[in-house]
Amino acid sequence: MIALLKLIQSIIKTLHSAGTPGQVAAGMALGAALGLTPLVNLHNLVIFSFLVLLNVSFGGGMLGWMLFVPIGFLLDPLFDRIGLSLLTAPSLRPLWTDWTNTPILPYTNFNNTIVLGSFVAWLVLAVPIFFAARYGVAKYRATVGERVRQSRFYKAVTASQAYNIYKMFRP
Amino acid sequence: MRIQVFRWKAVGPLLGLLVILGLLLWIFAEPVAKDTTEEASTELLGTQVDLAKLDLFPRDAAVDLRGLQIANPFVLSRNLIEADEIRLKLNPNALAEKKIVIENLSLQGMRFGTEREKPARPVKGSGFAPQVYQSVEQWTKQFNVPLLSLTPIDTIRQLALNPEQLTTIREVQSVAGRTDSVRKALDEGFQQLDIRPTVDSARALADQLAKTDPKKLGVDGTRKAIESVQQTLKQVDAAKRRLEAFERNTRTGIGLLGQNLRSVDEARQKDFAFAKSLLKLPTFSAPEIGSAFFGQVSIDRFKQALYWAELAQKYMPPGLLPRPAPGPQRLRAAGETIEFPKEKEFPRFLLQQGQIDFTIGGSSAARGAYAATVAGLTSTPALYGKPAVISASRRASGSALASIDVDAILNHISSRTHDSANARLQGIKLPSFDVPGLPLRVDPGLGSSSLSFSMKNAGAQLSARWTIRSDKVSWVADTTARRPNDLERLVLRVVSGLANLDVVAELGGSVRSPKLSISSNLDKAVADRLKAVVGEEVARAERLVRAKVDSLVADKVEPVKRQVAAVQAQATQRVEAEKQRLDQVEKQLNVELKRLTAGVVPGIKLPKIKL
Repeated sequence: MIALLKLIQSIIKTLHSAGTPGQVAAGMALGAALGLTPLVNLHNLVIFSFLVLLNVSFGGGMLGWMLFVPIGFLLDPLFDRIGLSLLTAPSLRPLWTDWTNTPILPYTNFNNTIVLGSFVAWLVLAVPIFFAARYGVAKYRATVGERVRQSRFYKAVTASQAYNIYKMFRP
Repeated sequence: MRIQVFRWKAVGPLLGLLVILGLLLWIFAEPVAKDTTEEASTELLGTQVDLAKLDLFPRDAAVDLRGLQIANPFVLSRNLIEADEIRLKLNPNALAEKKIVIENLSLQGMRFGTEREKPARPVKGSGFAPQVYQSVEQWTKQFNVPLLSLTPIDTIRQLALNPEQLTTIREVQSVAGRTDSVRKALDEGFQQLDIRPTVDSARALADQLAKTDPKKLGVDGTRKAIESVQQTLKQVDAAKRRLEAFERNTRTGIGLLGQNLRSVDEARQKDFAFAKSLLKLPTFSAPEIGSAFFGQVSIDRFKQALYWAELAQKYMPPGLLPRPAPGPQRLRAAGETIEFPKEKEFPRFLLQQGQIDFTIGGSSAARGAYAATVAGLTSTPALYGKPAVISASRRASGSALASIDVDAILNHISSRTHDSANARLQGIKLPSFDVPGLPLRVDPGLGSSSLSFSMKNAGAQLSARWTIRSDKVSWVADTTARRPNDLERLVLRVVSGLANLDVVAELGGSVRSPKLSISSNLDKAVADRLKAVVGEEVARAERLVRAKVDSLVADKVEPVKRQVAAVQAQATQRVEAEKQRLDQVEKQLNVELKRLTAGVVPGIKLPKIKL
């Protein structure tokens, strides 16, 4: 229940942030990586750093993360198959052999079928996610956005302490 | 408007976050590493591994493990190894590649076979080690270790045999069915041969020519007659070849019937053994006594060696091909993690050198100088290029406990793997064990024991030998649970008189099809004594068993034997008769042919026509 409330809060805050639809969408596309791929891996530290350092919506990133976590769990069998086919492809064997025998790179765990499969899936989906999110945010703001902004619910959400911290990272 | 790409003000918070992550890592790395080590080692070895403490020394790339206990997977109340402190010096370059290369291992306070405060938890799950444990347990069940039967003769019951239990009856019914099938097949075969028309037409032609004078036929008539004789001879020859082929098939069928009869005899032997087992006659065959006394304890020793050899096969595979393994346990699916070994690079795990030297002083039984080395233990032997060598020894001059020597070589460099291990223990207190089927416990006392184990080509060749030798064996009869019968008392008396024990158990064959043989100085002594006391009674009981089985199966076996003999005789006779008929007409035709050819040019002998 709390997770659901947090998700709603995050959605509301992000959709009404000062960021452009493109910034929100870029944040969501980056955040999708955190949700789609298993979290504790080196590549996610890099993605998280991009989310913080690049001028994209951090809230959008958190929203993307939250939205894509359940999708990641659901698609694990598919990621496993994608990863396995890539890792067992004879033409790619030299690449994986070099990758797993180079300092630091093995900590990405790309020799795991789920990690590699989900990462590749994210790479493929990142651009469609970006465009879909940008279209969605722009459409929302043009239609029901202003009415929501005037509602008590929105005011309650934005008045919370967490929102102040969040404002620090807003684009 | 120009959009700013970087959010410079976030650099500070990001660095702060990284510092917090670093702090958390610093605080929790050791407990997490300890738990992970315990978990991973337990999963890897298939037995509970406990660590009291784990200290990381990042500057030295070293790890200290304290209070290590590795439980014995086969005796959960004991530890296989216990060590007070283990210092591992790791290779930092390998760590950067997420590989563990232990350059040096030093160990203090190592003990073997210590009692655990709490029994270890049996390792469950679908991991490799529990699977190996189960398969090794299953492996031990294939040995048919006889149970020593010492039922008193006066309790032998009247033999009550149910004919339906006898294999012979079922076998006879099956043979009768098969004999009938063979008979039908022979009939059909004779019909398909269709010899009669050929014989009849040949005989008719021969009769007709016999009544004809070749001189009256003229040249053209004689030529036609010769041609028709030659044609008929060819038909006769073809029929003979068909008959020969049929004869071969018939012989095969008759041979099978003979085999069937032999299987009936074998079934009868099985029924004798089965009926004998119902009487529970006392065992006095020396090999059976040896197996009954020491079979189980020998198999227990061999199965432990096999368990570790199987684990080595799994964790030290030959070659450099990519290796899939289950991924890490996490909320998300584990997937598979594939290792990609590369030449001239570090393997995923390597223990380059482990040196253990320490001395236990004083006057305790364990005093002595201990030395152990481990070298080249690796997950990718092909990269390391040398076999793994493990050796441990203990010397205590002047002590009653003489020596312990253990050495093992695991050669997995190529696909022709060879694992061998030898353990020699002299002047040590050998563990006592129960004798199955008897209220008797053997305490070998101080003695010597050795175990050699060799497994080649992943179990295709297996060879092992376990020996115990003691001059101060004691036999403890446990008569509190039940009073031993006369025969058991006799055996107890015989073994109690023996002060020395010499057992040799040998295992051969392959892992899939092992062969176990056991001999000991007890076998003959017990067997001779039992034979002298109950031999005549047992022989009488065996005669009774034979008579009983024969009486139940004879009226069913004899008709089938007669049926088989009749089919065999009939088949042979029919083939012979057909052969004779064909030979006869062939001879007649040849006579007529000779007569015809002599008339073509009288006085000139024509060359023989070869058909």
